[in-house]
Amino acid sequence: MTMVYLDYAATCPPSPAVLSEFKRLSEVSFGNASSKHAVGRDASRLLEKARLGILSSFGLNPSSYQCVFLSGATESNNLAIKGVSFSYKNRGKKIITTAVEHPSVKNAFEQLKNEFGFQLIVLPVNEAGSVEPSSLEAVMDNEVILVSIMAVNNETGALNDIGALADIVHRYPKAFFHCDVTQGIGKVKVPYSKIDLFSFSAHKVGGLKGNGALVMKKTIRLVSLLSGGDQELGLRGGTVDVAGAYCMHLALKESMEKFAEHKEHASMLKEHLLQGLSKIDEVVVNSPLDGSPYVVNFSLRKHKASVIVEGLSEAGFYVSSISACNSKGEPISYVLLAMNRSKEDASNSIRVSPGPEATIEDIDAFLAAMNKLLLEVRPR
Amino acid sequence: MKFDTVMIHFGELSTKGANRKLFIQQLLHNVRVAIKRYGLLTKADRDHIYVYLGEEDPTPILERLREVSGIQRLSLVAKTGKDIGEIGAAALSLIEKEAGSTFKIETKRADKKYELDSYGISRAVATHVLKNSSKPLSVDLHHPDILLKVNLREEACYLSCKEYPGLGGYPLGMNGKVTMLLSGGIDSPVAAYALLRRGIKVECLHFASPPYTSEAVIDKLTRILRQLNDYQSDIRLDIVPFTKLQEAIYQNVPEPYCITIMRRMMVRIAVGIAKKRHSLALATGESIGQVASQTLESIDVINEVTNFPILRPLCTEDKVTIIDTAKRIGTYDISIEPYEDCCTIFKPKAPKTKPHLDECQEYETRFDYASMVEEAVEGTTPIFVSEGEVVEPSKSK
Repeated sequence: MTMVYLDYAATCPPSPAVLSEFKRLSEVSFGNASSKHAVGRDASRLLEKARLGILSSFGLNPSSYQCVFLSGATESNNLAIKGVSFSYKNRGKKIITTAVEHPSVKNAFEQLKNEFGFQLIVLPVNEAGSVEPSSLEAVMDNEVILVSIMAVNNETGALNDIGALADIVHRYPKAFFHCDVTQGIGKVKVPYSKIDLFSFSAHKVGGLKGNGALVMKKTIRLVSLLSGGDQELGLRGGTVDVAGAYCMHLALKESMEKFAEHKEHASMLKEHLLQGLSKIDEVVVNSPLDGSPYVVNFSLRKHKASVIVEGLSEAGFYVSSISACNSKGEPISYVLLAMNRSKEDASNSIRVSPGPEATIEDIDAFLAAMNKLLLEVRPR
Repeated sequence: MKFDTVMIHFGELSTKGANRKLFIQQLLHNVRVAIKRYGLLTKADRDHIYVYLGEEDPTPILERLREVSGIQRLSLVAKTGKDIGEIGAAALSLIEKEAGSTFKIETKRADKKYELDSYGISRAVATHVLKNSSKPLSVDLHHPDILLKVNLREEACYLSCKEYPGLGGYPLGMNGKVTMLLSGGIDSPVAAYALLRRGIKVECLHFASPPYTSEAVIDKLTRILRQLNDYQSDIRLDIVPFTKLQEAIYQNVPEPYCITIMRRMMVRIAVGIAKKRHSLALATGESIGQVASQTLESIDVINEVTNFPILRPLCTEDKVTIIDTAKRIGTYDISIEPYEDCCTIFKPKAPKTKPHLDECQEYETRFDYASMVEEAVEGTTPIFVSEGEVVEPSKSK
């Protein structure tokens, strides 16, 4: 059976070079980076190398930025959002995010509002799924301490103008700008130096699951979320996964080096996929044309998306449907609802996110398999 | 002196005559399997099974034994000689370790040749305790803090302060095996539990309609069955490929009758599989009146396809009671996970609550279901859910 994995926005296979390096490093540099002996120092040096490498991949100066190794983007988003809010709560109580953030951002903000009395402002998005800078401008004032806006939406690939949004925030000296760049690293241009703190994970660019980081300006003080030893600048206790962190650096470097080549390939696949989708009557595309080339999201008007995704999976094509559920337990996308799509469209969307090895033939085979299912499967 | 033996009291076994020995043997076997990991000595006689604890902590063992069907009560006992002085000394030592200031001695004398009668034994033991106790104790016959039971048997005397209710029913395996239709909802696992309690082994059947139902449902079912592994350590789950037949039904049958015809097909398939597996009956989680296919009229029309017995252990239970049981046995939280099963996809807007048999028969002539039923029976793949592990044969795709 053919196996075509088109769900890179969920996760991707680790790069073979990274994986073999992980095995080697786990054997030779297994030390605890906090140990005072030679084995520990060896691990600690490797960790610093990874830190510098990551900052350099983003073009950031290690004298003014730092990189904290964490378990993934979820932890990184939580640490940035709660860490800033708790640390600067005496400056003001207003915090701002958008209606389409990843759950690890959305729910962190909701917790701050519901359990810690912060005043939460949720920015709307336009029909293309992006935040209008003017809507941020309208709500900014001197009470705001944190604004968090994602670079690339994980469901639709919609982009935000991070440069313009960061500029608005920086007009207010009390406010910090955080950005979830998980779907953006190595894939789209992001003005990293304009962001105060940003979060990402390793496994979306060929690194390993269980690794992620928060990159932040050194001047920012955070309250740590996990009490423990003084590892990772005292922000994250626990023995550091040195090999994993180093491999995140390698994976990131690899993806940055192949940035242009991969992007061109992805754009070509996206165009081909959109062309194929345009021939299917019941398909409406949700992803904006100028969004990330790596993500195509569309809704089915006649069939249940979850059934088609299941059928595709049986046929060896792996794509995503919405996994989050609304209050009634029915899966529905709050991202698409925020983009003013109907409830039916929002609960019948499919996300296709090919990786660099995907070919035009894979996309054709996927389209053929889906067309076949749309004929065979009973409509909803 | 300490409580170092679990005494297992049989349930409805006492009503059995010639089969009694078989029942006890089966229960002894089940008890041994249930607590195998502790490597304890067990022994059965005509009235009880004894588990000798040695130095083991009794708590987890008692907990495990409370999940074994066929046990009415469990008591934690200490064994002594039959001399009245010895019994008194043992009783004193045990009572002094218990919390409370009032006590009562209750005696059961199985050894009718003993020189004292039950009352006499109680009095002698209580007198010894009162005279020799190091802490102030008094007798309270109505609301004692400590109730010490003296069970005087021919071979020895057993003393106990604590009793625990067992699961009841019959030893698992004594009452044969049935094929349980498992949807993944709340009711069917509770029905399976009711059968297990009665000593009936279950094998499960699930109708899968991919791609309309997700492969994830099967993971959900194995997690449900793992909860039931407490009562039956190995459970077989057969997955029936149902898509083709289900699509055919919806193509050929008017919508209000789809569910009825679907259930008739399910019963036909289940009977085919049950006979192959030497099951003695089918079982379902149906509760009368709960949904359209569970009215008496529907049950009548659905049941018409077979004379094979169909057990409905929950037929008179309220939903609330079923939910309570599901929560108690730990299947509820798994059951409510939102996956569609074969009963919820293509759900008609107005299903027939009082279907007519002649109409069903007419609709069933419209397509060749017999070969598809046969194909489903033959295409079934088994999964085995055992305590601690799931064994799944590699899929032939």
